Amino acid sequence: MSILFDSTSTVKTELSKQKYIASDEIATIVYLSHKLGKPLLAEGPAGVGKTELAKAIASATGRELIRLQCYEGLDESKALYEWEYSKQLLYTQLLRDKLNDTLGKAESLAEAADKLAKEEDVFFSSRFLLQRPLLKAILSDKPTVVLIDEIDRADAEFEAFLLEILSDFQVSVPELGTLTAKHKPFVILTSNNTRELSEALKRRCLYLFIDYPNLQEELAVVRLKVPDLNPKLAQQAVEFVQKLRKADMRKSPSISETLDWANALVALNASNLDKAVLEETLSVLLKHEADLQKAKRQLMAPPPQSKPRNNDEFGRFSGN
Amino acid sequence: MESRILQLIAALRASGVRVSLAESAEAFSAVDLMGIQDREHFRLSLRATLIKDVKDLPTFEKLFPLFFGSGQPPMMGGNPMDNLTPEEIQMLVEALKQYAEQLRQRMERLMNGDQLSRAELEALGQLVGLNQADNLNYQNWMAQRMMRALAFPEVQKALKELMEQLAQMGMSRERVEQIRQMIQQNMQGMQEQMEQFAGERIAENLSEKPRGENIDNLMNRPFHALSDEDKKLIQREVKKLAAMLRTRIALRQKRAKNGQMDPKATIRASLKYHGVPMEIKHKDRVHKPKIVVICDVSTSMRFCSELMLSFLFALQGQVRKTHAFAFIDHLESISEDFSGADADEAIQSVLWRMPSGHYNTDLGWALNDFNNEYMDTLNSGTTLIIVGDGRNNYNDPRVDIFSNMSRRATRTIWLNPEPPIMWNGDSDMAKYAPLCSNVLKVGNLRELANAVDELMTG
Repeated sequence: MSILFDSTSTVKTELSKQKYIASDEIATIVYLSHKLGKPLLAEGPAGVGKTELAKAIASATGRELIRLQCYEGLDESKALYEWEYSKQLLYTQLLRDKLNDTLGKAESLAEAADKLAKEEDVFFSSRFLLQRPLLKAILSDKPTVVLIDEIDRADAEFEAFLLEILSDFQVSVPELGTLTAKHKPFVILTSNNTRELSEALKRRCLYLFIDYPNLQEELAVVRLKVPDLNPKLAQQAVEFVQKLRKADMRKSPSISETLDWANALVALNASNLDKAVLEETLSVLLKHEADLQKAKRQLMAPPPQSKPRNNDEFGRFSGN
Repeated sequence: MESRILQLIAALRASGVRVSLAESAEAFSAVDLMGIQDREHFRLSLRATLIKDVKDLPTFEKLFPLFFGSGQPPMMGGNPMDNLTPEEIQMLVEALKQYAEQLRQRMERLMNGDQLSRAELEALGQLVGLNQADNLNYQNWMAQRMMRALAFPEVQKALKELMEQLAQMGMSRERVEQIRQMIQQNMQGMQEQMEQFAGERIAENLSEKPRGENIDNLMNRPFHALSDEDKKLIQREVKKLAAMLRTRIALRQKRAKNGQMDPKATIRASLKYHGVPMEIKHKDRVHKPKIVVICDVSTSMRFCSELMLSFLFALQGQVRKTHAFAFIDHLESISEDFSGADADEAIQSVLWRMPSGHYNTDLGWALNDFNNEYMDTLNSGTTLIIVGDGRNNYNDPRVDIFSNMSRRATRTIWLNPEPPIMWNGDSDMAKYAPLCSNVLKVGNLRELANAVDELMTG
């Protein structure tokens, strides 16, 4: 195990070296998960940096990141292992002479069968096992970080199948027996919360909810990742994004979209967030036509003329 | 400390958060690791191990400070006497003399700037019946009752008079204002103390409360007689039912053997014949269950539509290819509403979008809508589930469309809260029933469970 993460503050500094700004909450829970050897279940809206967190942890600890993207219909032959039949067949063909040699010296049929039985292991060995991400993580000689991305997209059966791996870090291959991990991998599961995960899965994980960052946090991320953007514009841009998130959109802009937008602003050499720039670049932030229209109507319209309002004492309540 | 954590866990459970034994053990090892010196770390280690659902986070954030304090003691204003000149003190004592003994004691109590002692709080709690309260919604109410027991409103009024009097007696304005502010601060502090105490005590009561009501008791209760907590319990149960139904539907589908050729399986089989592919293997086409549900949310069904919708919600969570529709006088697709993870919110949004009216149910028209727009969702391999009472307000039942639908679907199931004996008047159930594969009466959770059982064995 790496000795990098020996307190929550080192988690924080190491992650920030990887250009990932971790809040106290994230740092504490990552540290706990590392120390307790428990998988970490990160939930939250799309694009708040759940996947990025896994990548940052992998590079901070210098471990290999093994990623398993979940989708509907994902099964164990794609996630865990598969026998490589064609290779097995090829080997039997090519080794036929050798087999004849070995078996030819046998005096009786029974002896030949016994001899063959001794060689049986050759054909069902890990040589013919096609390693898929999870098996790769378990058999790896070096400790790894496993990212099981968007687990909520996989079927409920697949969740059940993960349980053995998550609690004991071992898998059972009928022909080979149980394979146990040499090094406990650091497992991170992410979920976009599109469906409820099973209790059994949640029980085995530590839970981390990552929400959209507040203004300061997001500004810090933008400044770190897009250093070329001038500070004033960055501030304006982040304020604008935060305002968009408060508006009722079909899909709120995520941090990654904020960063794309910031990059776009740099590329366009924008100096100010004026109407023309917004018109041009807003589609980087909002991906639904309806949202775009709405944003154009609401947020880019000139600020409403302050209407003469009778200053009765209920004035402030009639505002909205 | 350990017993305090256990109490917190018990209180969480009593508030409807599911905490397993494994998770509470985990919480202890996390706390061992992180220590308890840093309050924030302590809170996060408990939270990460005990709470596994966004919905439960607010409950935890509410309960945690009640068991482990809010971090800082309430601010007290201090004793105004401390920086008064002897003459001013004299004035204050004079002014106080006019009040009745009891009220004066109370006022003096506020002025000395001490916090309420544990014993005082206990006594107050006893007085207002805090020991029987086991619902956090009562926290503020209990605190208010405690304040009233301390005669806060009267004391406040008296203090105002007192201040005026002091001013009249010639004390400087700033001085009076200073005293007033300090007393105000003291009251504030005591109020916080009482709120905290009430919350703590209620949380403790909560943790001693016997484990939640048995699901068996809820089984036979009609859907309209359920409290919020019951509903949560039932939703959990409904989720299990949906999972069972899903597996069953999946198993019922015949596994087709006429898919694409499977080269791996073919090579493997050919090993038997010395590498000659004698048997051609095909890929199993895995049949995913597909469900189309149409749910009546009209007035006559309102009492059970919430539960039925939560059943639909759970079903959609289990079966990806679920199309859910709701209707009153026309049909609306509600699959979109159900794409979030929170059942309650989804259900409320549907019910809000489709407010009930008077005698406007029109299944015939809804079926017509379905025929025009969504007929392609039905094909072989689809199970059609209709939830409703079939009461059509003498509108055209459009049996023709329904028979077409049931012919297209593999199986048609009708869940009706009314038994056959009540299918009269404006009910068109008798016309629809022969076209369904199953018609089941579902009026409470037990019947829903039985219906799922029957569907599974049938």
